[in-house]
Formats: sequence, structure tokens, C-alpha cells
Amino acid sequence: MAELNPTGANSGKQTLIEEGTQFRGSLTSSCPVVVRGRIEGDVETPSLTVSDTGAVHGRVKVGTVVSSGEIAGEFDATSVQLSGKVNDDTVIRAKTLEIKLSSPDGKMEIVFGNAKLAVGDEPSRQGEGKGR
Amino acid sequence: MAELTRDEVLKKVRAGEKLARVDLRGLDLAKSILKNADFRRADLEGANLEAADLTGATLSSASLVEAYLKGANLSDAVLEKADLDGANLENARLIDANLGRASLDGASLTDAVLVGARLVNASMEQADFGGANLSQACFSHAEMSECYLGAARMHKCDLSNADLSRANLEEADLTEATIVDADLTGAQAPRANFTQASLLRTEIKGANLEGANFTNADLRHADLSNANLQGATLTGAKVFGAKFDGSSLAGLVAEWIDASAEGDASRRIQESAVLAALQSGVAPAAVPGRRYFGRGDVMRNAALEFGEGSVVEIESRFENCSIALGDNSELIIGGPGVLDGCTISGAGNITIHGTFFESAAPSIVGPRRLVVSDSGAIVATVQQRPEHTRFAFASGCRLRLTIVRAAQ
Repeated sequence: MAELNPTGANSGKQTLIEEGTQFRGSLTSSCPVVVRGRIEGDVETPSLTVSDTGAVHGRVKVGTVVSSGEIAGEFDATSVQLSGKVNDDTVIRAKTLEIKLSSPDGKMEIVFGNAKLAVGDEPSRQGEGKGR
Repeated sequence: MAELTRDEVLKKVRAGEKLARVDLRGLDLAKSILKNADFRRADLEGANLEAADLTGATLSSASLVEAYLKGANLSDAVLEKADLDGANLENARLIDANLGRASLDGASLTDAVLVGARLVNASMEQADFGGANLSQACFSHAEMSECYLGAARMHKCDLSNADLSRANLEEADLTEATIVDADLTGAQAPRANFTQASLLRTEIKGANLEGANFTNADLRHADLSNANLQGATLTGAKVFGAKFDGSSLAGLVAEWIDASAEGDASRRIQESAVLAALQSGVAPAAVPGRRYFGRGDVMRNAALEFGEGSVVEIESRFENCSIALGDNSELIIGGPGVLDGCTISGAGNITIHGTFFESAAPSIVGPRRLVVSDSGAIVATVQQRPEHTRFAFASGCRLRLTIVRAAQ
């Protein structure tokens, strides 16, 4: 799983919602968005990183999501890497989703509330069940 | 006493004359240019050949007992049946050299380079290869008991049928090595790297393999009885028919192991069931309490109950079946497995490499853990257990999953 950048510094520009900051409304960015605080509303960005102190509640259209924080709402993404918490009434639609079984400290990697996941191509009863 | 002087030898070599069967015992030939020289059956016992250039030289059946060859270049040299017992070959270069049936018992080859060298049927008992580069070298049928190979680089090395009993391989790099039908009984190989190595049918009894890495290695039918595997990594290792009787497995790291007879990962055992499978000391397919439903079978409208700790593997097609899993049981839907219109209940661990389709929701109730691998596909509603279900999804899996909290 990609690591969060704790300093917020990287080679490119990024939008940072720092811990203690709450944002309400609609956020559209052409830069990666890093959330250590809280966003409530719509987000559109090529890349969204939610740290373990961060939370994003709302409708999100994004290329890549890496979250170790709390998410809720509707997420449309190309690829998603999750740990942390997925709240009730969350829908995640993605081409790929990766969730590891447990974190290095042995804690549960992710806790799901009531959620729906639609990942990859629709499984079909035809042509399934082939050997690996 | 040598029958020729150094100058006479150099003169003959320059003239292209053969030095076959000549007696050169104890002669000082340090730093001399002896490229392509013909010393077959010559007696060079105790000769000083330090940093000599013997590239392409022929030394077949020559005696080099106790010879001093430190830093010598023997690349492409032919040393078949040569006697190098006790020779000093530290830092020597033997790239692509042919040492078939040579004897190197007690020789020192510390930091030597033997890339691509051929040592088929050679004898190297108690030889010192510490830090040597042996990549792609061939030691097939070699006698290497009590050899020191600490930190040796042995990538893609061929050690098939070699005797490495009681050899020291600590921190050696044996990635992608072929160690088929070899004998590593009592070997010392802590922290050695056997990633993707083939150890098919190899004897590794009583070996110290603490912290060794066997990721994706082929251990089928290998005998690891009484081996120390503490902290070793076995993720993806092929273990069908391997013996682990009495082996120490504390701290073993294995996200999964491959229990298929063919070694094609079609039968995986997941993390929580690995220890039980290995400690049983028999082929994982025959682990007591294990149920296996093979390819081609179809089961319809059945109700199945599996007790606490049982391991169930399904590679068949199940239609409209209900499966009850006891606490900490393991249900593995293998790659070819399909569960269509089935329900699964109970605090078991479920791993899906194949396919699961539900007809009525919730189709999976109260699992302790649900893992969907990169080849897995699932259409289901999962009702979690009160303590929350553990989920893991590999990139590439296909999901149409509704997750709901436990019923209050």
C-alpha cells in the first residue's frame, strides 16, 4: 500500500487539508488532494490520500484513492487502497480495490459499516470457475 | 625439485610447446602469463601461481595440491580431474572454467569468481567458498559436505544431486537455484535466500534454516524433518508431500502455501491453516480434518456442516447448498470452484480464489474472515459478525458485494 507523505512535501503540488481543518462544500482540484482533517462534500481530483487522522464524507470522483482514515459516501475511482474505516451508507465503485488482511501491528486493517462494493468487471455465471 | 626453471617454462609457453607431464613442483610462477598453456598431467604441487594468467589453460589431471593460486585467472581453463586439494584460490577467477571431477577438498576459494563454471562430480569437501560468486555454476552430483558457502552468491546455481550435508550456507543467495534430489542434511543455512529455488525431493533433515527465505520455492517431497525453520518465510512455497516432522516452526511467515501436487497453486492453504498442515507431517492434501471436493464434481441442494478447526477445500461446482462452518474452520474455494446460489454461515475463515454467486441475501453470515484473491469473484451480501468481519481483497478481484452489520 502506498505510504502517506507525512511532511506533505513531494515533487509536485498538492492540496492539503491539514489536521484540525474542516472543509464543507465542493472541491475540484487538478492536483493530488491529501486529507488529514475532514472534508464533507463533493471532491473531484486525480488522487486522494486520506491519512489516519483524515475523513472524507461525500461524493468523490477520483483516479486513485489511498485511505487509512474514515470514508463515507459515494466513491467512483480507478484504483482504491483501503484501510481504516468505511462508514455506513458507503458505495465504492472501482476498477481495482486492495485491502490487506491486517496491519503490521496486528490490528484489524479495516472496519466496514453497511457498504456496497462494485469492483472490476461484473462477474458472470458464464465462463467462471476456471483453474488458476 | 622442478625439472624446468621459471624462464624455461615461460619460454616454452610463448613458443606454444606443451608442458604435459612435466614436473614443476614448488616452482615460482607468480604473475606469469600462461594463457592457453598445456599443463595436462603436469605436477604443480605447491607451485606459486599467485596472480598468474592461466586463461584458457589446460590443466586436466594436473596436480595442483597445495598450489598457491591466489588472484590467478583461470577463466575458461580446463581443470577436469585436476587435483586442487588444499590449494589456495582466494580471489581467483574461474569464470566458465571446467572443473568436472576435479578434487578441491579443503581448498580455499574465498571471494573467488566461478560464474558459469562447471564442477560436475567434483569433490569439494570442507572447501571454503565464503563470499564467492558461484552464480549459474553447475555443481551437479558434486561432493560438498561440510563446505563453507557463507554469503556465497549462488543465483541460478545447479546443485542437483549434490551432497551438501553439514555444509554452511549462512546468508547465501540461492535464488532460483536448482537443488533437486540434493542432500542438505544437517546443513547450516540461517538467513539463506532460497526464493524460487527448486528443492524437489531434497533431504534437508535437521538443517538450521532459521530466518531463511523460501518464498515461492519448490519443496515438494523434500524432507525437512527436525529442521529449524523458526522465522523462515514460506509464502507461496510448494509443499506437496514435504515432511516437516519435528521441525521447529515458531515465527514462521507464510501468507499461503501451495499444496497442489502439480505445484501450480491450484490448491492453496491460507495463513491460519498453514501450521496445522505442515505440522501434520504428511502431504497437506491428507491433513486430518481436511475435506476436499475435487474438480468435475457437482453437488446440488446439499446441507453440509464442518466442525471447529476443519479445513474444507472446494474445487467442484456447488449449487443451492448450505454450508455451516465451525469456529476457526477454513473454507477455501479453489480456482476452479464455483458456489452458485449457496449460503455460508458460521465463524469460519473464507478464502475465494474461484467464484461465489448468491441467490438470496444475506448469503454469507457471520464469517470471521473473508479473503478474495486476485482470481476470485464474488456476488454476495455479507452479514458481519458482531466483532466485525476481517476483509482482505487482492488487486484484480471482482466484487459485487454488499456488506451489512451484524443483526442486533
